[in-house]
Amino acid sequence: MAIFYLLPRFNYYKPKSLNEALKLLNDLENSKVLAGGTDLVLDMKIGRYKPENVIDISHLNELKYIKDDGKSIRIGAGTTLQTILESNIVRKKIPVLAEALEIMGSWQLRNVATIGGNLCNASPAADTAPPLMVLEAQLKLESIEGARYVPITKFFHGPRITELKRNELLTEIIIPYPPSNAGMKFLKLGRRAAHTLSIVAVATLITIKDDKFDIVRIALNSVAPTPLRAYKTEESLKDKPINLNVIEENVKRVAEEIKPISDVRASAEYRKEMSIVLTRDAILESLKMLNVKIGGEEF
Amino acid sequence: MIPLSEDPFYLIEKWLKAKEFLVIGKSIQRIDAFEKVTGKAKFMEDYVLPNMVYVKLVLSSEPHARIKAIDVGRALKIRGVVGVLTAKDIPGENQVGYALPDQPLLAEGKVRYAGEPIALVAAEEPEIAFEASLAIKIDYEPLPPLLDPLEAMKRTDVLVHDERGSNIAFTTRVRKGDVTEGFRVADVIVKNEYRTQHQEHAYLETEGALAIPEIGGRITIISCAQYPHLAQAITARVLGIPASRIRIVQPYIGGGFGGKDDMGPLVAAKAALAAYKIGRPALLIYSREESMKSHCKREASIIRYKSGATKEGKLTAIEVEIIMDTGAYANRGPFILWRATMHASGPYEVPNAKVDGYCVYTNKVYQGSFRGFGNPDVQFAAEAQMDELANKLGMDPVEFRLKNILRPGSLTITSQLLDHSVGIAEALEIVAQRASWKEKRALYSKMKGRFRRGIGVACAWHGISTSRGVPDWSNAFIKIEKDGSIHVFTGIVEIGQGSPTTSHVQIVSEVLGVPVNYINMYFGTSDAPDTGATHASRGTSIGAIGVLVAAAKLRERLNKLAAELLECRPEEVIVRNGKAFVKGREEKYIMWKDLIKEAYARGIEMSATGFFFLPKGTFDHEKGQGFAYPAYSYIVNIAEVEVDIETGIVRVLRMWPALASGRIINPLAVEGQIEGAIAQGMGLALMEKVEFDERGVVINANFTDYVVPTIMDMPKVEKPVYVEDLFKYGPFGAKGVGEMALIPTPAAIANAVTHAIGIRVTELPLTPEKVYFLIRKRKMKG
Repeated sequence: MAIFYLLPRFNYYKPKSLNEALKLLNDLENSKVLAGGTDLVLDMKIGRYKPENVIDISHLNELKYIKDDGKSIRIGAGTTLQTILESNIVRKKIPVLAEALEIMGSWQLRNVATIGGNLCNASPAADTAPPLMVLEAQLKLESIEGARYVPITKFFHGPRITELKRNELLTEIIIPYPPSNAGMKFLKLGRRAAHTLSIVAVATLITIKDDKFDIVRIALNSVAPTPLRAYKTEESLKDKPINLNVIEENVKRVAEEIKPISDVRASAEYRKEMSIVLTRDAILESLKMLNVKIGGEEF
Repeated sequence: MIPLSEDPFYLIEKWLKAKEFLVIGKSIQRIDAFEKVTGKAKFMEDYVLPNMVYVKLVLSSEPHARIKAIDVGRALKIRGVVGVLTAKDIPGENQVGYALPDQPLLAEGKVRYAGEPIALVAAEEPEIAFEASLAIKIDYEPLPPLLDPLEAMKRTDVLVHDERGSNIAFTTRVRKGDVTEGFRVADVIVKNEYRTQHQEHAYLETEGALAIPEIGGRITIISCAQYPHLAQAITARVLGIPASRIRIVQPYIGGGFGGKDDMGPLVAAKAALAAYKIGRPALLIYSREESMKSHCKREASIIRYKSGATKEGKLTAIEVEIIMDTGAYANRGPFILWRATMHASGPYEVPNAKVDGYCVYTNKVYQGSFRGFGNPDVQFAAEAQMDELANKLGMDPVEFRLKNILRPGSLTITSQLLDHSVGIAEALEIVAQRASWKEKRALYSKMKGRFRRGIGVACAWHGISTSRGVPDWSNAFIKIEKDGSIHVFTGIVEIGQGSPTTSHVQIVSEVLGVPVNYINMYFGTSDAPDTGATHASRGTSIGAIGVLVAAAKLRERLNKLAAELLECRPEEVIVRNGKAFVKGREEKYIMWKDLIKEAYARGIEMSATGFFFLPKGTFDHEKGQGFAYPAYSYIVNIAEVEVDIETGIVRVLRMWPALASGRIINPLAVEGQIEGAIAQGMGLALMEKVEFDERGVVINANFTDYVVPTIMDMPKVEKPVYVEDLFKYGPFGAKGVGEMALIPTPAAIANAVTHAIGIRVTELPLTPEKVYFLIRKRKMKG
C-alpha cells in the first residue's frame, strides 16, 4: 500500500513480435527496453534513467530459447537466468556459465532476470560476462536494418555503456563449442556466501598441449569500468610448462591489466590482490577438470 | 493485609517449587505458527482503511545545519495534498528524548543528522505524498558536522546541542577497590583498544503506524512498537491530550531487535499527529532507505581495556574506558552506556575495577536499542582480554576463565552479592567438553597451510530487568469467561520471538490446568495493564510474571471452590486437562467448565490482575557500586571457524551455545532465539557495518550495499546446553533468553579467528579484506 519510490511517468509499449519491437525501438526517441526489469525498474525508481518510452519485450517467446546447433549454443536474449542454469546443454557443454548463474542473485530474481538484460545493463559487476568472455561468445545485435555480430569482448564500452546503437536490440548470444578438453571455472568473491555482488569474479578456460598451457583465457569483473579479458596474462602463460611457480609468477600480471576502484564493497588494493588469488585458483580448478593436479595444497 | 492466596511473592515461590509439569519445559507449537506459515497473519500494513491519508516523511539532507525556513507553499498547491506538518504544528510537546530531553519529534531550529525527520506530508494518494515531499524546500544554513566521537569530545566550539555546552551527553563510572594496587600485584598485564561499528536492525518490516481518529476524541493507533504503553505516553505528550485517549493496538510485528523499542513510539506519534490534525486515518510507513537513514543504530564503540592477573591465573584489576558514538541524540544511549559499564568485567570476579563511560554526540544517525544493548561490544573487549591474559600466562582460555568465573557467593564489579541463580561455571564446563575444546584447541594451534581452523570461547552475562533502582514491574489481566475459555491481556508484544504465543500460554495452561487451546492471548496492547516493554530479554522473564501471578490467584480461588465441591482440602485439588479432581482419587472430579459455572453462580470473581513490583537495592552513582540487577542470565558460546589466509574469508563452521538462564519454558522457542541471535551476532562480527560519507550521510542505506548473513553463511548450531539456575522471581524460575546468544557471538568468533591466524583481532567487522590485510601486515613484518 505504501509507495516508497516514484516511478517516473513513461509510455509503455508491448510489441507483439520481435519485428514490432525493433520498429518501435527505431521510431521512439529516448526509450528503454524492459526485459526482466530487475535492474531497469529499480534504476528508474532511483532516477538513474528517465526514459520517455519503455518497450516491454519480456513476453516475446521468440527471444526465449536455448539451442544446440552442433557447433554452438544459441541462447535467446530473453531467456531467464534460471532457465539457462537448469539447461542440461549449458551444464554439460559450458559449465562455467552455469557456475556463474548458480550464485547470481536469488532463485526469485533468476526467474525474472534475463541474460540479455544482464549484459545490456553493462554493470562492471555483471556475472554472466566473465564466463561468456572466456567462451568467446558472439552477440547478435538486431535492428530494422538487419543484424550484426559482435564479440562480447567488444560489447562493453563503460559502466552502463555498450556497443548497442540507439535502434539496436541484443537478440541472441552465440557460444561456440569450447575447444575439446578445455577446463573451465568461475570463482566469485563477495561479502557473504550468497545473494551478493562480487568484489571480484574470475572465469578461466584452459587447454593443454604437450604438458604445456595452450589456450588460456581469463576474464574478470568488478575490477574495471567493464568486465574484461586479461590478455597479457593469458599470453604470458601460453606455452609455459604447467607448475605452480609458473602460474603464480604469471598471474601477478593481472594486477596490471585491471583498474579497480575503492567503494563500499572493497578497496582497490584488495581487489587487485584478490584478482591475482582468484585467477590463480580458477586456473588450478580448470586444470583439475583436466585431471591435472598441481600445487602442494588441497582445496 | 493481602491474604496469602493473593500475595505475588507467595504465589511466585509456590509455583517455583513445582516438581512436575504438564506443559512447562515442553516444545509446544506456538499459537501463531499456522497463521504465519500460511501467510494469513496480519501485520500493520494489512489494516488499510478507506478514507485514509498517506503520510510521507521529509528528511534532512544536511548533517548539521540551522533551518532558516521551510517553504511548504508549492507542496500545498499540489492537488490531493491534504496537509504538511512541521514542528510548529505540534499541539503538545515536541520532545521525545527517552534518557535526556534533547530530541524533537520533528526538527526544530536545527538539524543534527542527515536523515532527521523535518516534516510530514499527507495526501490522498501515496504518489501525491511522494511528489509533494519533493516540493518542500528547506533553507539550511550549514554548520560544520562533527563525525568522530574522539574529536567531538574535545571540541566545544562546535556543539551538536548548543544548550548542553558539551558534546559529552552522559558519563558513567564504576570504582571498586584500588586499581593501582591491583595492577601492582599483577604478574601479567594486557592493554588493547577495541572498536565496534554501527549495526542496522534490518527487520523485515520497516517502521510504520496507522492512526485512526475515533469517537470521543480518542485515537486508536495500529502500531509497531515494542512497548505499547510508551507509544501511548509519547503520543499523548506530543498531542497534548490525556494518555487515556490513546489506544495502542498491535498486530504481529515483523521484527524489532530493539529498533522498534525506540522507533515505535516516535512513529506512532507522527501518524497520530497527522490523524489528529487532519481528522482522518493516517498511514505512515518508512521505506527501507528512510528506515536505514533515520532510525537508531547499534552504537559504535571505542573501548580501551587494561587488565591484570597473577601467575596463578586470578584477575587482579581492570581499567576500562568506553566511548560510545551516540550520534545526534542521546536516545537510550545513557542506558546503553550504563549496561556496558556495569558488565565491563565480563562474568568474572575482579577485586579492583575502574570503568569510565562516555556517551558522545556526533552529527550522525543516533545510537539506540539493539539486542544486547551495549553488552556485545564490551564482552568482545573483555573476552579478548581474557584470551590475551591466558595466552601470556600460558594457560588454557577455558581453564583461566573457570578460575575467575562468577559463582554463587561472588561479588560483581559493582560489589553486588550474587546469592543464587549463577550457573555459568557449569555451563562452561559442559560445553567445553561437548565441543572437544581441549583437543581442537591443541590440534588447530599446529595447523599450517591455506585454510586455518580456530576455536574460540566467549562467556557473557546480562542483567535481567532495568538496572540499578530503576523501577520495573510486571502485570497482566486474566479473565475466565463463563464458558471456561480464558482471556489473557498483556502488553508484551509478539515480535517474532513468541513469548506471548508460547511461554505465556504454557504458564497459564500449567497454572490453571487447562489445555492450551482454552487460552486466547490478547497481547501488545495498551488495553492491557502496563506490562513494561518487550525488550531486554524480559518478555517471559519479567513480562510473564504478571501472567503467572494472575493465573495463580485464580487457581487459588478455584482450588478453594473445588475443595468445597469435592469435599477435600484445597491443596489436594489437581486440575489437569480441563478436569479438577482429588489427588489420588480421579473418580472424584468436576469438569473445568462446570467449575467455572459454579464460580460465577457463587459470586467468585473470575478475573485477576498479576501486578508484581520487583524488589531492588540501592546504587551509588558516584562510585558505580551497589545493586545492579535482580539477576543475570549467562551464556557461553564456543565458535569454530576456518580462515582462508589467502583471501581473508572467515567461515564460521560450528557454534556450541550453553545457556544458564533459569527455567527453559519452551526449548524450541529458545532454540529459535539462539539461532537467530547467532546469525545477527555473526553479522556484527563478520560483515555488517553502516558506512558514512565524509558528511556523515549513510551511504549503504539499502540491502545491496548493507549485507546481512544469509542461510548459506550460517554455521551448524549445536543443541544448546541448558543449566537451569532458577531465578527466585522469574516465572517458574525463568530468566531472559532473547538477547543472550548474540552477546558473546562476536567475541567467540573474534577469539576463534585470532586462534586461527595467530593475530589478535581488535576491530569489527572481520571482513575478508580486514582479515587479509592483518595477515599480510604480519607476513611483511616476517
